[in-house]
Amino acid sequence: MVPRYSVLVVDPLEETREVLRTALEPRGVRILATDQPARGLALAREHAPDLIVLDVEHLQAAPATVADDFAAQSRRHATPLVLIGSARHRRGRVPAGEFVAKPYHYGPLIRKIEELLAQVPQPVAKAA
Amino acid sequence: MPSLFVYRGNDQGLRFELSEEVLGLGRDTGNHIQIHDTEVSRRHAELRRSGKTYMLSDLASSNGTFVNGQRVASHKLVSGDQVQLGGTQLLYTGATGDTSSDLAQKIDIITRQQADDESRIVRSIAQEEGSRIFDSRLDLPRNLRLSHGGNNLQVIYRTALAVSHTLDIDRLLDRILRLIFDWVEADRGCIMLVDPDTKKLVPKVRSNRRKQSDDDRITISQTILDYVMQHHEGVLTSDAREDDRWNPAASIVRAGVREAICVPMAGRYGVVGVIYIDTRSSPQQVQGRAGVNKFNDEHLKLMIAIAHQAALAIEDTQYYSAMVQAERLAAVGQTIATLSHHIKNILQGIRGGSYLIKDGLAHHDETMVGRGWEFVERNQEKISNLVMDMLTFSKEREPEAVPGDLNQVVAEVVELVTVRARDAHVDLVWQPTVPLPTLTFDPEGIHRAVLNVASNALDACAVAAEEQGRAAGRVVVSTSYAPDEGLARIVVEDNATGIAPEEIEHIFSLFVSHKGNRGTGLGLPVSEKIMKEHGGRITVDSEPGKGSRFTLELRAVLADAISQTAEQPAPSPRATP
Repeated sequence: MVPRYSVLVVDPLEETREVLRTALEPRGVRILATDQPARGLALAREHAPDLIVLDVEHLQAAPATVADDFAAQSRRHATPLVLIGSARHRRGRVPAGEFVAKPYHYGPLIRKIEELLAQVPQPVAKAA
Repeated sequence: MPSLFVYRGNDQGLRFELSEEVLGLGRDTGNHIQIHDTEVSRRHAELRRSGKTYMLSDLASSNGTFVNGQRVASHKLVSGDQVQLGGTQLLYTGATGDTSSDLAQKIDIITRQQADDESRIVRSIAQEEGSRIFDSRLDLPRNLRLSHGGNNLQVIYRTALAVSHTLDIDRLLDRILRLIFDWVEADRGCIMLVDPDTKKLVPKVRSNRRKQSDDDRITISQTILDYVMQHHEGVLTSDAREDDRWNPAASIVRAGVREAICVPMAGRYGVVGVIYIDTRSSPQQVQGRAGVNKFNDEHLKLMIAIAHQAALAIEDTQYYSAMVQAERLAAVGQTIATLSHHIKNILQGIRGGSYLIKDGLAHHDETMVGRGWEFVERNQEKISNLVMDMLTFSKEREPEAVPGDLNQVVAEVVELVTVRARDAHVDLVWQPTVPLPTLTFDPEGIHRAVLNVASNALDACAVAAEEQGRAAGRVVVSTSYAPDEGLARIVVEDNATGIAPEEIEHIFSLFVSHKGNRGTGLGLPVSEKIMKEHGGRITVDSEPGKGSRFTLELRAVLADAISQTAEQPAPSPRATP
C-alpha cells in the first residue's frame, strides 16, 4: 500500500514504536521512529511528517532546546503533536499538542492519531 | 529471641533467629544456619544453648571460628559478639533480659505527693564542671576514693573502650553500668533514656552489686529527675537529715542512710537520659560512722564525666541507627520505583501485543496477529526473567548444588538465545570444551548467570548494529576447565562497542543499567551473586570499539570427590580475620 501519511514516533520503548508501526502501516501510514529526541528532531526537519508522537518524559530528559525546537517545528509546518506522558508532565516544558496520559491503551492512541491525520489538509505522502 | 545477623559475606542481610537447643553452622544444606561461603567448612561450628545464651563451638573447621577477632574453640556468646566464619561475619544479639516494661516494674519514679522517700539534694554540680575530670591537664584530687583506685587516664581509657565498638544501645548501657560499678561503690544502679516520642524517661538497664533480689525496687524521686533533666546538673542525694544524723532516735539509725547520685547524660544536642546509682549504709555503719558519706563530690564529677561520654556514644548510635533506617527506606523506595518502571514497560508491551492480536483478528490479518503474539511472548519472557532475577537476588531461592554437565547447561542457554541472535543478525557461536568432568553446581543458578551475560552480549551487538550501523555482530560462548586451578570457566565474548572504562566499575551495581529501557540493572548483580555462591567470580575485559569478554568462574567441585572436598574448603586468604 502506498503510504498516504507519515508519522514520526519518538519513544524510548521499542515496543511502542513497533506496535505503532505494525498497526499503522497497513492503514497507509509510513512510520519514522527513533528513541532519541535529538534524532527525532532531525528526522522531523528532514521529512516534515504529518504528525509527531512524542514521549514527553523522554523529551524532558533531553536538553530544553529540543522541546522548544519541536514546538517551533510543529508551528512552522502546522504539524499536530501527540504527547504521551503522565499527568505531571503537562506542567513541564512541553510543546502544545494532544495529550495522552500514561498508562494508555493503544486503541484510543491509534484512534487519536487517525483523527488528527484525517484533519491534515494535504494528505500526500512525503518523499522518503 | 537470640539471633545471628550476617553483616558481611554472601548472605549479607540474613537474620537467623536462634530457637533450637543445638544449631549447626556451615556450608552444607543440612545446617540450621547455612552459610554460602567457600571458606566455610561443610559442618563448621555448632551453637548449643547455655542458659539464656549459646555456646559457640568450632567443629574442627579448616579455617577456624573467630569471635571478636580471636580464634576460639569454644566461646559463650554475649550480645554484641562478632562471629567470623571464613569470609562471613555475623553479629550475635542475645535475648533481651528485662524489657523496658519489666524494668518499669522494678523502678519507681515517685512524685512528691506520694513520697515516703525523704531524699533531698545535698550537692549539685553542673555538667560542664563534671566533664573537666577528663581534662588531661588536671589531676584528680588525691582524696578521690574510688573502689579500685585509679586515675583520670584510666577512667578515660576504660570509658572510651566501654562506649566504643558497639552499635547496640542496650549492650552499651550495660557496659556503662558495669564500668560504674567497677569504679564506684554503688549497690544498685539504673540507666533511663528519654523516649524520643513521649520525651519521658524509660528505664533501660538496672544492675545490683550484691545478689539482691530483683524485687528490690529502686525508688527515684520525680522531683530529683526533673531537676537533673532541666538544670543539666548531676546531684548527690541523701535521705538523711544533717541535724538528725547523729541522733540515735532518728529514723535513719533505724533504717540506715541511702545516698544516691543521679546525673544527666548530656550529649551534643541535649540530655538523652540519666544514670542513677545508690548505696545504703546500715544502721550499724551509720552509728560507727564507717559508711556515711560513701558518695562525695568526686564521685559525682566522675559520674557526670562517664555519663557525658556515654551520651555522646548513644547519640552516635542513635544517629547511625536512624541513618541506616533512612537508607533502608530509601533503598526500598528506589527498588519499588525501579521495579514499577520495568513492570510498567513490560505491561505496555503486552498491551501492544494484545492490541495487535485483536486488530489482526478483526481484519483477518494473520501477520499482524503473529506480530502481536511475538510481543506478548517477548514480554512474558521479560517478566519471567525479571521475577527470577528478583528471586535470586533477594535470597529467596536457595542454591541447590547437584552433579551435572556444565556444557549441557550452557548449551541450553545458547539454544534459548539462538532466535534472538538470529533476529538481531548476530552470529552466535558455541565452543564447548569436551569432555568436561561432571561437576557439582546449581544448574538453575548457572543457567541464569550465563543467560544474563549472554543476553547482554546480544543486546550490545544489536545496539551496535542499530546505532552505529555495524554489521557482523558475533557472540562466542565457550567453556573450559582448569584442574590445576580447581576452576571451571564460561566465557561470553562479543565484538560490539565495548564498555567505557568509567562504566566498567559500575556494571555490577544493582539497578545500574547501560542498556536504557532494555536493562533492569539486575542481570549482572544476579550473575555475580550466583558465581560467588559457587566460590567464583565474574571478570570483564572490554575494549571500547572492539568488544567485551565476560569470564564466569566457578570452583570446580568434582562430583565424585564431594566427600573429599567436604571438609576442605578454599583456604582463607587472610592470616587473621
